[in-house]
Amino acid sequence: MTEDTRRIIAGPFNRVEGDLEIRLDIAGGEVRSAYVNSPLFRGFEQILEGKDPRDALTIVPRICGICSISQSVAASRALAAAQGILPPPNGERAAAIVHAAENIADHLTHFHIFFMADFARAVYANEPWHSEVVEKFKAKGGTLVGEALNARSEFLHIMGILAGKWPHTLSLQPGGVTKAPDQRDRIRLLAIIRQFRAWAETSIFADTLEHVLEIDSVDALRAWHARDAGRGSLRLFLTISDALGLDRMGPGPGRFMSYGAYPVDGAPLFPAGVWENGVIAPLDTSLIVEDLASSWMLGQPAHPFEGRTWPDEAMADGYSWCKAPRLGGETAEVGAFARMLISGHPLAAQLLHAGAANVRARVVGRLFEIAATVVAMERWVSEIIPGETFIARGRMPESARATGLIEAARGSLGHWLVIEQGRIASYQIIAPTTWNFSPRDALGTPGPVEQALRGARVLPGETTPVSVQHIVRSFDPCMVCTVH
Amino acid sequence: MKPTETFYEVMRRQGVTRRSFLKFCSLTATALGLGPSYMSEIAHAMETKPRTPVIWLHGLECTCCSESFIRSAHPLVKDVVLSMISLDYDDTLMASAGHQAEAALQDTIERYKGNYILAVEGNPPLNEDGMFCIIGGKPFVDQLRHAAENAKAVISWGSCASHGCVQAARPNPTQATPVHKVITDKPIIKVPGCPPIAEVMTGVITYMLTFDRLPELDRTGRPKMFYSQRIHDKCYRRPHFDAGQFVESFDDEGARRGYCLYKVGCKGPTTYNACSTVRWNEGTSFPIQAGHGCIGCSEDGFWDKGSWYARLQNIQQFGIEANADKIGATVAAGVGGAVAVHAAISALKRAQIKRQSVAENEENV
Repeated sequence: MTEDTRRIIAGPFNRVEGDLEIRLDIAGGEVRSAYVNSPLFRGFEQILEGKDPRDALTIVPRICGICSISQSVAASRALAAAQGILPPPNGERAAAIVHAAENIADHLTHFHIFFMADFARAVYANEPWHSEVVEKFKAKGGTLVGEALNARSEFLHIMGILAGKWPHTLSLQPGGVTKAPDQRDRIRLLAIIRQFRAWAETSIFADTLEHVLEIDSVDALRAWHARDAGRGSLRLFLTISDALGLDRMGPGPGRFMSYGAYPVDGAPLFPAGVWENGVIAPLDTSLIVEDLASSWMLGQPAHPFEGRTWPDEAMADGYSWCKAPRLGGETAEVGAFARMLISGHPLAAQLLHAGAANVRARVVGRLFEIAATVVAMERWVSEIIPGETFIARGRMPESARATGLIEAARGSLGHWLVIEQGRIASYQIIAPTTWNFSPRDALGTPGPVEQALRGARVLPGETTPVSVQHIVRSFDPCMVCTVH
Repeated sequence: MKPTETFYEVMRRQGVTRRSFLKFCSLTATALGLGPSYMSEIAHAMETKPRTPVIWLHGLECTCCSESFIRSAHPLVKDVVLSMISLDYDDTLMASAGHQAEAALQDTIERYKGNYILAVEGNPPLNEDGMFCIIGGKPFVDQLRHAAENAKAVISWGSCASHGCVQAARPNPTQATPVHKVITDKPIIKVPGCPPIAEVMTGVITYMLTFDRLPELDRTGRPKMFYSQRIHDKCYRRPHFDAGQFVESFDDEGARRGYCLYKVGCKGPTTYNACSTVRWNEGTSFPIQAGHGCIGCSEDGFWDKGSWYARLQNIQQFGIEANADKIGATVAAGVGGAVAVHAAISALKRAQIKRQSVAENEENV
């Protein structure tokens, strides 16, 4: 192959959770096609089969040390559905608070440690913002890297108080939570959240959370950016985005899905739905099918209640351990930006370019979600009533089919549980990155990231193209969840 | 970076002041149970010894160990430890990507041959020639063997590397195998727990870097300073156990009153770890304090020992357990009174008291 037409393997990727490799076919200075491989498989679904259903609460979080609470929440939701119980109001709020804390912590890590560091690369040395990025975000040495890690640690004291330990809590149970916070805990929680708010309002936004959430159009965002361009990480990102055209980079499939996040009193903070061509439709999860055409998995395409996870040890006919989930036969992009769009925030639709998400939209979606979630957490804490019950008692049925559908930081996470004779007969998990980083299906349709990489610019001689780094990281992959 | 740089020089370069450095040395001395007089010894070692490089590899795992490590309690300790070990190769935190990163790993291995510490998070799956965990186109087990060949010592972070953990639960689909079953010719220090407590991780690595030797290990290879006591020995709910006051279900009156969780499956009586003293998330709490029993995540085989909600059968109820580890029992008897007073006793004090008690016991023998 000539320099103009070549094939490279990007990866192993660093600064992502887990292992990831991407094969790129390059021609004419751009990516023509991309093949995403998740090279790590552990077999959690096989391990769960035959076990006591409650054991899922211990096994499932260990799929991932980063999204551990999300896995626990999904498992507890599935077990609650199997038992036909709902947590009491206090339990719902306590679970929402720990879940939100983890999701915010993930967004923080992504922005400060995984994503921004790529703009400190030498290739951008001539850009006017380069020295500031190096000072603040250089991997391991940047001032904001340390600052964000500290803010995050202190914020995660919430986990200590409500969840006992993190990663891998045990407090989240089907009927609620085992920890009943008292008045003193409530005040401590509020103090932790307020302290975090103060840091975020200084370091990330350089404005109040409420002002940021009022930004309702791209014009308003531009005006907000221009008013004080030198302050706060969000504005620095917008400066970079304008310079590099990140608002056009990495277009996804233009179809977005959310299972709905943080249900409290019957209404989620971010609603469930599917967004396509400007229309938000209700979500029908019976349309989900996992395609195996490009996966090293045996079996037929099936809904997760029917499908199984049997690895093909011959590794024939495929290029990834990841299955290809499709909604009504089509790909869907999931994540914070999808939630923002489906919740109807007016800025979200304007961040699309040609009907698709892009690097800027995904990053702005995450930072806006931090703001919206912190405000909600303050409310949930104030609504906790110490002394009232935090957990409802249920009885595990001999047989059941139940789902736990939740939103992790990176998008829609689903657990499909079948109980027979009191044991787990089947437990299928579709993680957010399984949606975003899925391989091609039987029709040859590439997964969202594979699609987003098409057309990415590759400079002559680049072996780890920087545009590919930006696009891949804009999805914040969690590869250990993807295949599990 | 020249290989002869000392720890102190590295810290200075990273902007750590002399004052912070000395504070770190005294904190380290107490954290390791060595007493304040060791401070000057630690300071001297760090000023004169060349920095020991650390390679941190990730196999079949969930990254929870790294996640725990980066949230170590004392901000000073965290900053200093991170700059000290400077993780010559760690794929979660490092700057470079892809082939550059692979080259950086190889470079570190060659440059510091026989002189670096290999820290392993996760374990190698051996089924189908290791293909369930492929890194840079090769099975992780190959990378592990290659990196271990010239390592001075190996740290097995967490229950995956030490024991196998839940991914090795029946039927263990990938044949996930702990590190010591693959690497048999190197000193291996096991730091189990899912994940291990951050302060335990920083404590172990600081000790190794400072004194250039392994901490004292128990017969299973765990550092005694953190794993010689059971959760039960220092549990703040222990008085309820002794008084026979138990939680029967998570929504009952006993649960609200904070009674003992033994009957809802707590494995504290058979689990050796520092959770009930050091605690989690910067000393905030630990699972029992949040109302759920211990699942014994730092014990070998905890994933296949039956339900986590079934009560333990093999412990005696009152007084000192007959089947307890001998040293554990004498230590517990020696410091029991002190523990009741200091419910929130710190890691530093705990290690110190325990060490003194051991010394006293040895004198008495």
